[in-house]
Amino acid sequence: MPVTTFAFLLFVSLTLLVYFIVPQKYQWVVLLFASYFYYASAGGKLVVFLIFTTIITYLAGLFLAAARDRKKRKLILAAALFFVFGLLAFLKYYNFVARGLNILLAKLAVFSLPQFKILLPLGISFYIFQAAGYVIDIYRGKYPPERNPAKFALFVSFFPQVIQGPISRYDQLAPQLYGGHGLDYDRLKYGIQLLLWGYCKKIIIADRAAVLVNTVFDNYRQYPGSIVAVAVCFYCLQIYCDFSGGIDIVRGIAQAMGIDLVQNFRRPYFAASLADFWRRWHISLGEWMREYLFYPLSLSKPFFRLGKKTRGLIKGKAGKIIPTSLASFIVFFTIGIWHGANLKYIAFGLYNGLIISASIIITPYFTRLLEKVRIDPHVRLWIVVRIVGTNLLVFLGRYFTRGASLKAALAMLRQTVFAFHARALTGGTLWTLGLSRLDFCLVVVGGMVILILGYLQEKGMAIRKTLEQKHWLLQWLVLMVVLVALVWLGVYREGYIASEFIYQQY
Amino acid sequence: MEKILLAILAEMNLAVDFSGEKNLIDDGILDSFDIIALVGELNDAFDIDIGVEHLLPENFNSLEAIMNLVKKLQAER
Repeated sequence: MPVTTFAFLLFVSLTLLVYFIVPQKYQWVVLLFASYFYYASAGGKLVVFLIFTTIITYLAGLFLAAARDRKKRKLILAAALFFVFGLLAFLKYYNFVARGLNILLAKLAVFSLPQFKILLPLGISFYIFQAAGYVIDIYRGKYPPERNPAKFALFVSFFPQVIQGPISRYDQLAPQLYGGHGLDYDRLKYGIQLLLWGYCKKIIIADRAAVLVNTVFDNYRQYPGSIVAVAVCFYCLQIYCDFSGGIDIVRGIAQAMGIDLVQNFRRPYFAASLADFWRRWHISLGEWMREYLFYPLSLSKPFFRLGKKTRGLIKGKAGKIIPTSLASFIVFFTIGIWHGANLKYIAFGLYNGLIISASIIITPYFTRLLEKVRIDPHVRLWIVVRIVGTNLLVFLGRYFTRGASLKAALAMLRQTVFAFHARALTGGTLWTLGLSRLDFCLVVVGGMVILILGYLQEKGMAIRKTLEQKHWLLQWLVLMVVLVALVWLGVYREGYIASEFIYQQY
Repeated sequence: MEKILLAILAEMNLAVDFSGEKNLIDDGILDSFDIIALVGELNDAFDIDIGVEHLLPENFNSLEAIMNLVKKLQAER
């Protein structure tokens, strides 16, 4: 039941109806049934992995609360994390590792490892990260464990967010899931608005941009560098609208129910550095990584010892921040390989990790340099330069995530740099990439609308609240335009599969 | 203690008025890199051992909160 189908909307409407009819103390039961119904209909038998993760993390929470001995608690935590991340690693990386090992084993002429046809369960990373975060929090004593297994099962499986996040924390989400919510007109209205905006981004912009992106990436050798660059630009827009649009739909549904899910995007294309970009893009994953990987690594004994050594060897700030820089590198490398088992993701992880960890070391020297040449880092032009530079770095990184392989990504980069052929942009090739002129312009205009609205939000404007203060006729007009645009401009062409989200396969 | 703490924060060159700020973490004024750098300095200056479990917004949101954390860890030592 893809999110962009009528069946999904019907399912959401029915769930909302029942949710608000039943007494508030049973609302969480409705959500649990709806979540499992949704997951079983979308993921089929793969629901067993969801159940497995739920049982392991639920029991780990209880055992951790009962155990007093430090060693025993560590063992329980390690076992729980081993099982859930082991499952994720097996499903994601087994075939990749087995293929690599088989090349080695073939040389030794011993046995070979079998390859399996592995289907990645819907949203597996997201619910595993969420459940693992819960266990680590219990281990750290942040809150007591959930004792009701059914309530806990809802926390892991909550249906809109199980698709592709946002990854929530138990202490933020659980009280909202279990507490009752009356029908609130404003929340319902805001929720539906957010949902509609999400659909606009997904089916008007992302799915349309995807047509051009797929054409060029699937046949990149046929196109000059300039056309490849346009396709990568379109991909930047596509992935943002696909992922953030999906999250808007999820958050909109939850908001209508009275549940606030954490933000996952904060206008990443206005980031002034790559580190800033990752603080604005997929925020909930970034926060998860910070809480459960970056902090523990940075404060661990080996890193502490490393810090002492580097401070002895290198004087000044650089000596102090080398361990932080290394921890950041590990985090970004992990995020890279989390995307999938492929050399291109390893390259993507290295790319981000190296730039960010190097920038941590360089920043203090760079700040001093700016002071010397008397450039005010807060002046608008300088900020614009940084934003453009950051977008360029992100743009280059996208060659890796979308390229069919590392080889293809590098070849496309080579084409862009050494065989740009700017003339191709005006030679009519653009109109042969699967999009009509009108569709092409729609994507560009859509991208500009997002930029303008983003700029207004950056300036502190709350768009929905501002709209609310306008005349009711204008409000209705905007709503009608959005609805008509969705029905009219949504991509529903022949051969088009009501599209899934890019991130749900992660 | 406040003097040492202010000196550490000034040394970090964060361009923030720490004496008046009450939401250093919640408002994103200190990012994760700053936090780790600050923790390193605090550990050295006050001979304490700030662990992952202490990295909560309420322990770092203001100058006062940071001082309370340092005092608590010094007392536990």
